[in-house]
Amino acid sequence: MCQNPNNQTKNPSHFESIDATEESPTHRDLLWEDYQNLIKDMRFFDPHIHMVSRTTDDYQMMAKAGIVAIIEPAFWVGQPRTGLASFKDYYSSLVGWERFRSSQFGIKHYCTMGLNSREANNERLAEEVMEILPLFAYKEGVVGIGEIGFDDQTALEEKYYRLQLDLAKKTNLPVQIHTPHRDKKRGTERSMSIALEHGLDPSFVVVDHNNEETVKSVLDQGFWAAFTIYPFTKMGNERMVAVVEKYGPERIMINSSADWGISDPLAIPKTAALMKQRGIPLDVIRKVTYQNAIDAFAKSGQIDVADFETESKPDPSAKFHGNSILRGGQQPVMNKNSLLIQ
Amino acid sequence: MANLSTNFSQFLFEQCTNKEREWLEEKVKSNFLDLMTAFVAAPRFLSKKNISYDSKSRGSLIPELTSFEVNGWNLVRLARVWLLLHLPSEPKEQYIKNIETLFDTAELNELVALYSALPLLSYPTEWLPRATDAVRSNMGFVFDSIALQNPYPELYFPEPAWNQLVLKTIFNEKPIHRIYGINRRRNEDLSIAVFDFISERSAAGRNVPISVWMLISGFTLESMVPKLFLMFKSEIQTEKQAAALVCYESKEPKIRSLLTKYPDLELSIQNEDLDWSKLQSIPE
Repeated sequence: MCQNPNNQTKNPSHFESIDATEESPTHRDLLWEDYQNLIKDMRFFDPHIHMVSRTTDDYQMMAKAGIVAIIEPAFWVGQPRTGLASFKDYYSSLVGWERFRSSQFGIKHYCTMGLNSREANNERLAEEVMEILPLFAYKEGVVGIGEIGFDDQTALEEKYYRLQLDLAKKTNLPVQIHTPHRDKKRGTERSMSIALEHGLDPSFVVVDHNNEETVKSVLDQGFWAAFTIYPFTKMGNERMVAVVEKYGPERIMINSSADWGISDPLAIPKTAALMKQRGIPLDVIRKVTYQNAIDAFAKSGQIDVADFETESKPDPSAKFHGNSILRGGQQPVMNKNSLLIQ
Repeated sequence: MANLSTNFSQFLFEQCTNKEREWLEEKVKSNFLDLMTAFVAAPRFLSKKNISYDSKSRGSLIPELTSFEVNGWNLVRLARVWLLLHLPSEPKEQYIKNIETLFDTAELNELVALYSALPLLSYPTEWLPRATDAVRSNMGFVFDSIALQNPYPELYFPEPAWNQLVLKTIFNEKPIHRIYGINRRRNEDLSIAVFDFISERSAAGRNVPISVWMLISGFTLESMVPKLFLMFKSEIQTEKQAAALVCYESKEPKIRSLLTKYPDLELSIQNEDLDWSKLQSIPE
């Protein structure tokens, strides 16, 4: 588009060859397909992704890029829920259908359960949700209470954050804290100090959505620091590389938080490729893209790495459990470049 | 408490460590809310080992319901069913509400345990909508838990629901011979639907397992003659055998007479060398 209305230069016709001297780009995106070899045979664990908002195409690409396991935190589906039944259905989908759908692509699906901060502001509904939450928190494959914390930093948000920290203590589960988008620094500090006040061991608490401003304090106080690679609003992955270079890999983990917004379920493998390219050692990459997340959430007693570390990768042409998203003999992987649909 | 037999408790405890047994015994002493939480939390306190199941125990866990079997289960599933049988069944409204809450909040393995327990729960007909919902499930384990090796559908499903269960089992390429009562509940509507399904698949160039012809047998219509004729001409031996069995069991003289051209097949049926069990080609 012509940015300057006074610039009368005509756009070249599609048929005109562009002058070679004008063809020297000053900037070009790195293309993912050019960099996939860098992470060949690496294994990734995404500890924060909202698959309920994603498609089967995403699952296919994730599996192809080496993502073997994920955690789906209970969160906000984009509009407020109006009744308890929608919460029940949503929680059930996290431990039911979504877990099953994921298994169809050879990806192990865990989740964390919680009442999210935005909806904590609907007190009547929040009370009802808190009553059924224990039934979900004890479920198999539930690796934490999350994502909980602050959005607007209201009194009601604080009330239900505190109640859920108590639930985490009772169930002996790790906590996954969502730190607010606005007034983040204060929200992060407040979240941590309340967690400590409730007697939580910081090694049981993952503080999420960190940035350059919050990371030091989170690590200094003994918490896990998670970073969300999310375009435009949270971390970019070049900045992430710089954080890892500065702070090292201890207690740092990366996630995508991919959801219904413009986000990228391949954020972890892409960041790993970038780290590899920038010369970060393999063991460091492995820690921040895989092992640390496992160490933090395995405190739930619900993660068995044999479920996703076995060398025999699922055969994509095999049926997983017969009846599935795969209707009448469909296969989980199809050739999207083929014109024929059989 | 519904239908809890001492055989069942004894069998469960034989599979447990002392610690696991203590946990279970303590939980059934508590109130219904703790019992429900125990149902959910069971995998945190019990191992998931597959239970050992010898032929002696087969059919004897619940003497009043010999078709209730637990082979292929793990300890958590078995213990969950046992815990459910400790929920007080009175007052009825409270009992139904508790079971419904467990269904409403269940994850996949809990659903499997809940559906497995259906034939043993109190007020069995109250669970009919749940059970037919499970047949609609797209989650394989959930579907299996109601459709395969579960006596509930045979005992309580009305015919249309039963037929849907059988058709979906075929559609999902599951082993139909593992549906309890598959032979006993054959019916004309099912036969017609299965025959239509086979024709539809043939038109698309796809096959169905040969054993599904068993469901047509006994309820044949004259309109099926051309297809049976083609099967006799097939180069695949099992297709000929299936056609022969269908004709042998048919009440239609025209269909029955097709078999006279294949005396060797007729003879092997009469000698009991050929029956439907020989055609169960669907892998488990």
